[in-house]
Amino acid sequence: MATSLLNRLLGTLSQTSSARVEPLTPPVARYVPSSAPATAPTSVELRDYPPVERWNDWTEYDPKAWPQKVARRYTLVPTVCFNCESACGLLAYVDVETLKIKKFEGNPLHPGSRGRNCAKGPATLNQVYDPDRILYPLKRAGKRGEGKWVRVSWDEALNEIAARIRKAIIEQRQTEIIYHVGRPGHDGFMEWVLPAWGVDAHNSHTNVCSSGARCGQAMWMGYDRPSPDHANARVILLISSHLETGHYFNPHAQRIMEGKMAGAKLIVFDTRLSNTASLADEWISPWPGSETAILLAIANYLIRTGQYDRAFVRRWVNWADYLRAEHPDLPVSFEHFEMKLQELYAQYTFEFAAQESGVSAEQIERVAKIIARCEGKLATHSWRSATSSNLGGWMIARCLWFLNVLTGSIGVEGGTSANVWDKWIPRHPNMAPHPKVWNELTWPQEYPLNFYEMSILLPHFLKEGRGKVDTYFTRVYNPLWTNPDGMSWLEVLTDESKIGLHVHLSPTWSETGWFADYILPMGVGAERHDMMSQETHAGCWIAFRQPVIREAMRRLGRPVRDTREANPGEVWEEVEFWIELSWRIDPDGSLGIRKTFESPYRPGQKITVDELYGWMFENHVPGLPEAAAKEGLTPLEYMRRYGAFELRKGVQPTFNKPLSPSELAEATIDPDTGIVYTKTPAPPSSNITPLPYFEPDPERGRPIGIRLEDGEIVTGFLTPSRKLEFYSTTLRDWGWPEYAIPTYIHSHVHPSKVDRSKNEVVLLSTFRLPTLIHTRSGNAKWLYEISHKNPVWIHTSDAERLGLRTGDLIKVITEIGYFVDRVWVTEGIRPGVIACSHHLGRWRLQEDGGGRLSTALVELKQEGDGQWKMRQIHGIKPYQSDDPDTARIWWEDAGVHQNLTFPVHPDPISGMHCWHQKVRIEPAGPNDRYGDIYVDTKRAHEVYREWLAMTRPAYKVSPNGLRRPHWLLRPFRPAREAYRLPQKQKS
Amino acid sequence: MQSGSLFHSQKELAMTNYGFLIDQRKCIGCHACSTACKSENEVPLGVYRTWVKYVETGTFPNTRRHFQVTRCNHCANPPCVRICPVTAMYQRTDGIVEFDPKVCIGCKACMQACPYDAIYIDPDTHNAAKCHFCAHRIDQGLKPACEIVCPEQAIISGDLDDPNSLISQLIARHPVAVRKPEQGTAPKLFYIDADQTTLTPTAAPVGATFMWADVVSEQLVGHHNGNGHAKPTREVIPLTAASGATIRPPREQGLGVGQTPLMLGGRIAGHMVQTGYNAQHKVPWHWPVPAYLVTKGIGSGVFLAVAAAVGLGLAPLTAPLLAIALFVSLLFIAITTLLLIIDLDKPHMFFTILTRPQWRSWLTRGAFALIAFSAVAGIWFLAEAGAALNLVPAAVAEALRLPLAWVGMPLAVLAAIYTAFLFAQAEGRDLWQSPLLPVHLLAQALMAGSGTMLIMALFMSMPPALLTVLVWLFAGSLILDLFMILLGEFGIPHASEVAARAAHDISHGRYRQHFWQGAITLGHVVPIALLALALLAPGLAAPLLAAAGLAAIAGLYAFEYAFVMAPQHVPNS
Repeated sequence: MATSLLNRLLGTLSQTSSARVEPLTPPVARYVPSSAPATAPTSVELRDYPPVERWNDWTEYDPKAWPQKVARRYTLVPTVCFNCESACGLLAYVDVETLKIKKFEGNPLHPGSRGRNCAKGPATLNQVYDPDRILYPLKRAGKRGEGKWVRVSWDEALNEIAARIRKAIIEQRQTEIIYHVGRPGHDGFMEWVLPAWGVDAHNSHTNVCSSGARCGQAMWMGYDRPSPDHANARVILLISSHLETGHYFNPHAQRIMEGKMAGAKLIVFDTRLSNTASLADEWISPWPGSETAILLAIANYLIRTGQYDRAFVRRWVNWADYLRAEHPDLPVSFEHFEMKLQELYAQYTFEFAAQESGVSAEQIERVAKIIARCEGKLATHSWRSATSSNLGGWMIARCLWFLNVLTGSIGVEGGTSANVWDKWIPRHPNMAPHPKVWNELTWPQEYPLNFYEMSILLPHFLKEGRGKVDTYFTRVYNPLWTNPDGMSWLEVLTDESKIGLHVHLSPTWSETGWFADYILPMGVGAERHDMMSQETHAGCWIAFRQPVIREAMRRLGRPVRDTREANPGEVWEEVEFWIELSWRIDPDGSLGIRKTFESPYRPGQKITVDELYGWMFENHVPGLPEAAAKEGLTPLEYMRRYGAFELRKGVQPTFNKPLSPSELAEATIDPDTGIVYTKTPAPPSSNITPLPYFEPDPERGRPIGIRLEDGEIVTGFLTPSRKLEFYSTTLRDWGWPEYAIPTYIHSHVHPSKVDRSKNEVVLLSTFRLPTLIHTRSGNAKWLYEISHKNPVWIHTSDAERLGLRTGDLIKVITEIGYFVDRVWVTEGIRPGVIACSHHLGRWRLQEDGGGRLSTALVELKQEGDGQWKMRQIHGIKPYQSDDPDTARIWWEDAGVHQNLTFPVHPDPISGMHCWHQKVRIEPAGPNDRYGDIYVDTKRAHEVYREWLAMTRPAYKVSPNGLRRPHWLLRPFRPAREAYRLPQKQKS
Repeated sequence: MQSGSLFHSQKELAMTNYGFLIDQRKCIGCHACSTACKSENEVPLGVYRTWVKYVETGTFPNTRRHFQVTRCNHCANPPCVRICPVTAMYQRTDGIVEFDPKVCIGCKACMQACPYDAIYIDPDTHNAAKCHFCAHRIDQGLKPACEIVCPEQAIISGDLDDPNSLISQLIARHPVAVRKPEQGTAPKLFYIDADQTTLTPTAAPVGATFMWADVVSEQLVGHHNGNGHAKPTREVIPLTAASGATIRPPREQGLGVGQTPLMLGGRIAGHMVQTGYNAQHKVPWHWPVPAYLVTKGIGSGVFLAVAAAVGLGLAPLTAPLLAIALFVSLLFIAITTLLLIIDLDKPHMFFTILTRPQWRSWLTRGAFALIAFSAVAGIWFLAEAGAALNLVPAAVAEALRLPLAWVGMPLAVLAAIYTAFLFAQAEGRDLWQSPLLPVHLLAQALMAGSGTMLIMALFMSMPPALLTVLVWLFAGSLILDLFMILLGEFGIPHASEVAARAAHDISHGRYRQHFWQGAITLGHVVPIALLALALLAPGLAAPLLAAAGLAAIAGLYAFEYAFVMAPQHVPNS
């Protein structure tokens, strides 16, 4: 009473000013007018995004000045995130006065991400304004790796690199050019560039990532990636942590949860308690590598109880091939196959699976019963984790797909599709023919079935003298840090006789970049053009990444010729760089390279970025020209404005599509196999997503379909049998008959190989955090603030035995060295298994050597031949920069780089690096310090030889004189002649 | 409405009552909301407007990780608004609890008032800041940045007063929880499927590290580091009930079992409850606040001692003596003010308290109480000093003496005790919300004031009658204070777990030395012993009494330090 009186008496100023709402003054300046239909909002409901018709010119209150109402004017430019592989849409708010990017929100028109993002989306802003980023081309001044750099012009760099490549091509040393890329962040582009050079130069990160899962999928159906329809599934079965990690994190997380909220059961196989496992209805924590045993026990249950989709299996599985080959005495009937199927899998009981995995038989049975009730709506996915960590991990993916086959959950709503049904890569202009060379440094004869390049073995191949590299590009890839056995990489990267010129294309510093000859700064997600399409859900879309400042300048009537003019410093973008480099390799067109890079609109002139994408969008994206025309836009203008285009909603498998009468007109049908052949040449496809490929034979032509048991003639799968290959003749014929059908392979970390009484455990060394993405996110302060260290997870019982508590130091001893890290004691991991995220542990060798936000300063010493010791001098420290936040860095830990201490473990079939490590653990000793790393690269080479000895090389097993089954997927597929094995080695 | 306009009219807003709902069934703990908020609101490193807390529970393989999107609750009855002296924190008519960085003086009282750790001091601009519901977006018709980024649409904002809004429908149909409803703040941040281990700040111990992040918070380090595996506490000796059944002995009130208030065990290889990730907070108030309590006690206590002597006619006091005493009182009030100002993060904004006072805040009321008290003390000092220097006729000073003493006394009492009301407004610190505190502060002021006079007596002559009054006052308040500490503040069980924890931290934990060696031994036992010695050795009385006064004041600081610091270490999130 008294106070309110006082209040009134004193007439306090404060209470009245706050919540007044007044409309902003409408913008006055003239911008590119929008022709999108204007829909005036009629309700007062809050909305997610500014209406699209106002994106060109949008006014928003300045949050810093608030609650004072200060208006800021932006033009909103859609682009695509460049962090993980999901290619989520972003919407950049470009301040029209300062041309600074204020923030990134999601692009609501993007069909995959639907306007939403993970933590990395908004943090793109950090990457743009990272004070430690590389702004100018740098050339090394001292020895390689010495850390001395001089700034050079783009011209100097381009000319030197182009001249070298030109010389190598002229001298027929095409295989000495290698382009090694992490996740490329674009689709189709390098498939356009590298074949034009006539090289087999592509080298990827695939065999530290997805080879296992790809191989397992491809052996069934030819396509190597799944596209689950989580949103409509009744059962979602995930191997690994898809609610927090990739393929495709944000788009999948949305739809998994959508499915779950709609009543789907979520089953997650993950040895550690991931966020995904935590939210699962059934969390299965198997002993690493035993996943196959569980999956086969579930398959056995479905078979034994007859709860599988008989019609689907009968129609689509190549059971006849199996019977004919393995049981020639039996009549070729489905009933006999079913009988055999029962026999084959009877051994995989729940009890057997329980014994192998440590998971209770009750839980496995419970899960089997859930899957049996999926009604053909089983969405499955396996990416990384188990399939990429175990010897024979590819078989986990194969057995997972077995469940899709048995439940008929393929290409149907709520089931799982093949990625290529949901992915669209538009044809590029003037595409060159397949190159005529085969690069044995990336596609060695020991691995005829690999998926794909054996990139982890490059250092060992170079050490063995299998070849040398003249020009080596690393692009958004950090093999020295990311790959196993980084010290072997360091040894070859510093050896100029093995690698002539190392060109590192990256927006930021990296451990690998440190050992380059040129570091060429390339834009981050908001500073480059790319076309992307991902199989994020039941549907199909393309998205357009664009340099947002450049686009803003164009809208403001200040177009630039070259993205460098819009980017910070002299940061460029790959598309323009590769066009320019290709042009300089063949300036007069005499090598036949130039013609690929000539404008389709202006003959003989160099193609521009606008022409490249304009041409693709006009000619090879069905529906896009029409949608654009409806708004009075060109297809390119449409993509610039909206950033994405949806080609299709819903599931659309191709395998079940009847062949058209015109297709059947010239066809012949093989009476035994039912395969339909035609001599009509294949029409050029607008979608250039790589597919399995069957070369026409002179007599019957190319296979185009299959006549099924019921007489229906449909496209079928792109496999030799045109069916789902339960029985793989490819595996049988290429040296692995024992794996011709889905079966159980003992992992290299099978319990029988781990002696827990000697403190041996399995180290689960790969898992993503929801906030980071390998070394790509090291320059994002908001992400590093949340996560900057990777303690070793250890179960309480193991910790107790060693006397360890959270925060204590542990020494993890691998086959080739050791690392010292802290422990995180938890009940969220299986006893006998430890785990450490691979995201952290970045380091630098010089105080000012870049990346101070995420790297520890280390001392690296070679103590004897191949014996390397790394010790942290200090962790992360605050520092002064243009960004006041760097002085406020409060964390010290940068984590520990475990991958250095791993030898290569190439799976003899898929080529996958099998990440799991059998290690010995002990409490750190008095001389061990946090972050200590020791590696013996001599020993690493021995381990490589041991794994190499497990292979069955093409020169021994090839049934047809080829290096690889020709039909199998191979990116950057060379011409058939290059597939032929060299005669001299075939003995 | 203008075509294409997205702006609400005033009328529409007036009917709105914004709140948040977090659907933890869907939240995947991805931290997208955290970075989107940093981006939208340009939040510096080291502080957070919203974050995702992780807690792991269970025993393998029955384990879970619980997430909790944590931020300002936009309380319907926000304590931060009530305590803010300058209306920098305020509640909009649409229910959003908003702040104005330019008005804020950086007193951090709102941080003490918030029982949810939602407020921080911006390291750039030094004002209090927190989630403000993206009010700048709301006023433009746009949802908050955290909501639109969320991959799972697990964050839902909306009008709680509109029965058709999605948020209202979800709240109506699902069991929801809020954080700390017992605080009476009426939080408007509702959770579906949040777990008690995340909702209860003290339920999940913090280890030496988080899963992915360093633990550096001064609030967390060194205290709640249980690692999920508490060391076995005292051996529990089973008791026998009348029936012969062995029963568990009753435990201390309010402290939970072991380290958590939830009965979830904590043996090695047993039931895990541990914090995987949480935002880390700084302790807002440090030494200036306990120091201010001591100097304010001296300032008001000295005045009370002489005013009582004058007012009740207990001792004849001369103008010079009064002038000196009042000068000392004013000096300590001045130091008090100085301490208050230097503790502000925006000291230059101090006068804002006077220019735009918010009268519900005891910081405001206290400032005016201090001003009123200083004015009376100042006039009296001028009169007495004038008389002593013959600048003012002695008769005038004498005539003013009694009325000024009587007018000044209640103001001095108010100056001494208003902090109790301010502390009571600090709803984030239950220990401070003690009904005993006004009386306790008065006893401390009398103790410190008389103690100071006893020190002064070493350097100036005082009438024996006054000395007698001072010694009685000192001894009486000393014993009263001891009684209130041992039987009051610490003897009586604490109603809330938060208060019990803080009290435990003082008597048995991080501040036990401050408490036992400082407050009890130096502050009470030593002065009482010195008083006794002075009685036994009257020849040495003056120095012994002065030493007793000094010890009591030093002990008082130790007590205040523990009392101010300990509750700030109990996490509120």
